[in-house]
Amino acid sequence: MAPRKFVLLTLGAMVAGIAACRKDQALSPDTLPGAGSGSPVVLNLDSVPYAKLSDYHFFEGSMADMRPVQGVLPYTVITPSFGDYASKFRFVWMPAGRQARYVADHKALDFPDGTVLMKSPYYPHVLPENRRRLLDTRLMIKKDGAWIFAEYVWNAEQTEAFLNMNGVNVPLTWADDAGQAHEEVFHIPSLGECQACHMDHDQRTPIGAKPQNLNTTANYAEGPMDQLAKWVAQGYLESGYPAHIETVAKWDDPAEPADRRVRAYLDMNCAHCHYDGGFCSYRPMRFAWHETTNPVNLGICVPPQDPFTPGVNYIVHAGNANRSMLYYRLSSTDEAVRMPLLERTVRHEEAIALVRDWINAMPDTCQ
Amino acid sequence: MNRLLLLPLIGAAAMHAHAQGTCATAIPVSIATYYADQIDGPEAPSPICSGGTPATMGRWYKFTATADTSITITTDLPQNGGTDTRVQVYTGTCGNLACYAGDDDSGSGYTSVTSFQVHAGTAYYIAFDNRWTANGFTFQVKYSGPGPVVDGYSTQYVPTNGVAYCVVDMNNDGLDDAVSVTSNTITINYQNPGGGFTTTTLNTPTATNTPSWSICAGDLDHNGYNDLVYAGSGVSFMLANSTGTGYFAINQPEYIFCQRSNMVDINNDGKLDLFVCHDVQPNVYYLNNNNTSWAWHQGGLGDTPDGGNYGSIWIDYNNDGHIDLFIAKCRGAGSPASIDQLWRNNGDGTFTDMAPQMADMADYQQSWSSAWADFDNDGDLDVMVGASSFTGGGHKLYRNDGNTFTNITPGSGFDLYNGTNIEFIARDFDNDGYVDVLGGGMLMKNNGNMTFSPVPVPFSNGPTGDLNNDGFIDVQNGNTLYLNGGNGNHWLKVITKGVQSNANGIGARVQVTTPSGIQVRDIVSGDGFRYMSSLTAHFGLGSNTQVNQVVVRWPSGIVDTIANPPVNTTLTVVEGQSGITTGIAATEVEPLSLFPSPAHNTLNVIARKDLADSKITVTDPAGKVVAMPGLVRGTIDVAHLASGLYLLRIEGPSGVLSGKFVKE
Repeated sequence: MAPRKFVLLTLGAMVAGIAACRKDQALSPDTLPGAGSGSPVVLNLDSVPYAKLSDYHFFEGSMADMRPVQGVLPYTVITPSFGDYASKFRFVWMPAGRQARYVADHKALDFPDGTVLMKSPYYPHVLPENRRRLLDTRLMIKKDGAWIFAEYVWNAEQTEAFLNMNGVNVPLTWADDAGQAHEEVFHIPSLGECQACHMDHDQRTPIGAKPQNLNTTANYAEGPMDQLAKWVAQGYLESGYPAHIETVAKWDDPAEPADRRVRAYLDMNCAHCHYDGGFCSYRPMRFAWHETTNPVNLGICVPPQDPFTPGVNYIVHAGNANRSMLYYRLSSTDEAVRMPLLERTVRHEEAIALVRDWINAMPDTCQ
Repeated sequence: MNRLLLLPLIGAAAMHAHAQGTCATAIPVSIATYYADQIDGPEAPSPICSGGTPATMGRWYKFTATADTSITITTDLPQNGGTDTRVQVYTGTCGNLACYAGDDDSGSGYTSVTSFQVHAGTAYYIAFDNRWTANGFTFQVKYSGPGPVVDGYSTQYVPTNGVAYCVVDMNNDGLDDAVSVTSNTITINYQNPGGGFTTTTLNTPTATNTPSWSICAGDLDHNGYNDLVYAGSGVSFMLANSTGTGYFAINQPEYIFCQRSNMVDINNDGKLDLFVCHDVQPNVYYLNNNNTSWAWHQGGLGDTPDGGNYGSIWIDYNNDGHIDLFIAKCRGAGSPASIDQLWRNNGDGTFTDMAPQMADMADYQQSWSSAWADFDNDGDLDVMVGASSFTGGGHKLYRNDGNTFTNITPGSGFDLYNGTNIEFIARDFDNDGYVDVLGGGMLMKNNGNMTFSPVPVPFSNGPTGDLNNDGFIDVQNGNTLYLNGGNGNHWLKVITKGVQSNANGIGARVQVTTPSGIQVRDIVSGDGFRYMSSLTAHFGLGSNTQVNQVVVRWPSGIVDTIANPPVNTTLTVVEGQSGITTGIAATEVEPLSLFPSPAHNTLNVIARKDLADSKITVTDPAGKVVAMPGLVRGTIDVAHLASGLYLLRIEGPSGVLSGKFVKE
């Protein structure tokens, strides 16, 4: 297999940052005007989700260029979730005069009603045209104190994205930076899949927008800036959050120790199910960043409850990746075996290698 | 949690092979899975039996056969991810080795698979080399011929291709076959009437969904041959042609996070529908339009918004003749999506969840499947709801007391049983007339008094059926069949052929009466979590050498009664053809028709099977043989028989047919 290089393009996309002013639109009494003067975004919480992505006026120019209007702020997370090697645009928008509030390093910010979080997976080089293709744009909208989901599926012409909550498969071939072609069927999640991951007990929740994931320097059109400070400056975050935030590692930073890289990867890709409030809390692993300082929570020397393949006898068999269920399931593409179950249909080779080497470097303490 | 029961099993499967680097220091291996850390031994295998050029280092193992059979060495294992191995197999002595077998790339990726005959007492040297990589890998030594008997089960190798989750009769000969599938093939190990298998791989149109989550089988279009449904991220139908020799696909476009799937006639229109558990949304079903297409529906059969639906099973819990639905459910974080549901079929197209009224059935236990059977042989179905994790409570055993259930777990044995699993099924493995439970790495044997005792078995859950037609339940685990060696107990198997009802009689209730009492089975397509097991009803009869009667109550409402069928045979019951039929009249001839009834001098016998070389007996209601007539141009002479009711039994190379007739 040709070496793959995972490139986080989100930061690059953020340079597109600042929007030109736009003429104010007439607001109906129950619409929420955007933050700052002149944000053209209008959001009527009684009418969302709209039928089309363009109905929100989040972008200017050709929508597929993802050039945000004023008030739509690009953001980044230190360790992003893996989604079949797709790159992602991430944006946040809030109504004027409303701010998110810090809760805890490892908990999603407490966002105000009217907040929109947006994520748009895309491949930079889709064959045969070798052009960028957006797959979908996922919205989480805070309404009456709870989040709703709105999934917009981009058309092939890349001129519009339409509301579709049923789950859609998009066969495509994309090229990586080395020019290697990869054939796959990209799956755009259904409503049920969205909420399988985005749940904290009985409440829907964002996953990425936690202080531990946002606490980094990001590049903006006007230059690099501390991201949380930028949110404060934008009027999107109450100041007064703690000076020290227990921050995740960047999973692909070779300067970081392997265990911190693995823990960061498991936090972003696995912890939303494998924690007390998650879909799969009945299994013993606890993969959140603040919980994986305990080796038992990582499954080290813990037998799996469902030993469905012979010889793979611990969740993490210290010193022996081949006998580790974590490695086995991260390595699999069988939809009933692979982990994560959702958002992944291909192997994430770099992460698999990281986890393998991390396990194999441990002294064998399990037997 | 106490894991004392699990640990020995894990330990057995987890042997490290600290092999030495030379032939002389080869470490002994047996039938097990091993891990080789690295290929760094100084003696490279020579000669090269696999073809190719020699390597520089080796890793040496030694297998000494204990029986004349054949074994397979394979590195084609999921955990190897296609790692690049090469293996040589030698006989002889170190320094004087002779090539015996070997392989480089027969497995998927660049893995190695080699199978060879072994002879009791002979040592075989197995050597891997670093021709391609010195990296570590896992390899498996397994029987590919008959293995030794373990815990009463012998093993037999069968070739498989892809997902091997299905044991069902595919060629309509009454014998269970072992089926495995890929997105564009179906490999069938057809069970030969005389034992053994004939393996055929059929190409199919591409299925866009494969049965990674579950598979179910049944004759969806009522053309005489069983069809398959693959449940993955949606469902694909694979429909057999009119001869069962080819398949065409219907790929349904809807996204479903599938779990258990079942074929069942949900709306009781005589045509098989499909039910699919949805993990993250309300359950889904496809209603049969006209035996050629199936229409998507969602709603009314478990509508928890965020799903949690894992193990569905369609049974008649309240004996009202309408097929009910139990759903084993699971979800973390104390979600109500984990609360099991018991959907009573109201008979008018509506269903009502009765679980909240049934003891503590509607609790937060984390279950992926349930085992339904009449464990106490009182004529109604009890249930063991198995825990996949003990975080929401332990295993539960409920006794059916008519229209209610009583939790009788304490003291039943399930309270002490600490194996967890996603698969639990109910079968009578020892033919003692009491149905046992398989799951969690252990067989829970029914002691006959609603208590259960753990009995070690060499297999894990898999599809079950009778794969050597000896009347005892066998289990498939991938390439390996675990053939139940049986005992002296008697048995009866019943194949239900629907006419007005669906073709397999799925949803039919079969009741067997022996001098010991009654036993019941419901015909189910899809139990446990992911496997599809035989559609033939299997009854262990203990020491009973007589069956007083078999009653089949069909989904149509027709009731057929067969008196005094012989034991240790397979009885095929065709809807409305038993001779003693109540309810709606029969209209179709299949596969045995006797007329006229009442008969005067001549009885016409029409069967779809070849009746050559058959033995024909006529017995009276007391079971006494009164005639052994010959078959002349499709008729038998009954002129000499006294007036009364008779059973005609035709026993031939292709099985047993029977039917009733009246002599005037």
